[in-house]
Amino acid sequence: MDKFYVAATRSTPYIKFDPPANTFIISGESYPENAAMFYTPVFAWLTEFFDLPDPAPITFDLELIYFNSSSSKALMNLFTMLERLVVAGKDITVNWRYYADNDTALECGEEFMEDAPGLKINLVEVERPE
Amino acid sequence: MLTNLYDIYMQMLKDEMFFCFSGPVSQHVVEGIGATLKLKMEIEENDMNTIQKVFSIFVEQIHNIMNYSADRLSHDKKGGDLGIGIFIVGTQNGSFYVRCGNKIYNDKLFIIKDQVDELRTLGPDELKALYRERRKNPPPEGSRGAGLGFIEMARKSSRPIEIDFTPVDEALSFLSITVFI
Repeated sequence: MDKFYVAATRSTPYIKFDPPANTFIISGESYPENAAMFYTPVFAWLTEFFDLPDPAPITFDLELIYFNSSSSKALMNLFTMLERLVVAGKDITVNWRYYADNDTALECGEEFMEDAPGLKINLVEVERPE
Repeated sequence: MLTNLYDIYMQMLKDEMFFCFSGPVSQHVVEGIGATLKLKMEIEENDMNTIQKVFSIFVEQIHNIMNYSADRLSHDKKGGDLGIGIFIVGTQNGSFYVRCGNKIYNDKLFIIKDQVDELRTLGPDELKALYRERRKNPPPEGSRGAGLGFIEMARKSSRPIEIDFTPVDEALSFLSITVFI
């Protein structure tokens, strides 16, 4: 299956899904004009990928500095999707990476943990790049 | 006769409005002005959480103009569909605020007014619970986003969202939303 890659823009995140490298990254800012439309191909790729037999354990690295309310909805849909897959027996971990001075990002990570209790979400504090 | 621009400029300075835009809004406006707004607040050494709240409320407000303004510039061939409106960012008694205005159809106005009136009565924990419940469920009918924007703003604001409207004609009103950070 082809890798999934989207370059970052000012209002949309960098996305790279590369299964052989176990790389599943979404990072940057997310406030597109239409978040539902922006994330549709992301969900299409993931749906196809998870239909493949027995993928290895997977780790998502999410590092979102800012996302608007409709992107938050898309992220909740992602976590709900992953949670269902975990219940169905897949091995999936999410690292929610946030900068130490970004209280909002930490709080958002904590809320996603509460709202997708069946999914393993680690809160990972990272250094803000200079 | 054009109003003297210097008078407008001085009046805005006096009223501590440091950003103003009026016209058609595209995603370029959101990105460019948003980045400039952040930079200005960083140069003035505001704390990171205040900057993020102002930015976040700016994005929700301006996306509302793009999605719900009744005044539009559309072009099928060029794929453009721009909402027209006005927004101001300023300070009052040391608090930042983001204020947005646009024309809106009255049926839509009453839906927004009911929603804002309800949000005005809710405390932080209730807003959080409503946000999370709404986020897990499908968006309300007629919403072009996730239906979370006003709740998001209410959660980040330091006082209840202010809503004002002025009738324009039988079908339309001018809606103004002010959010203090």
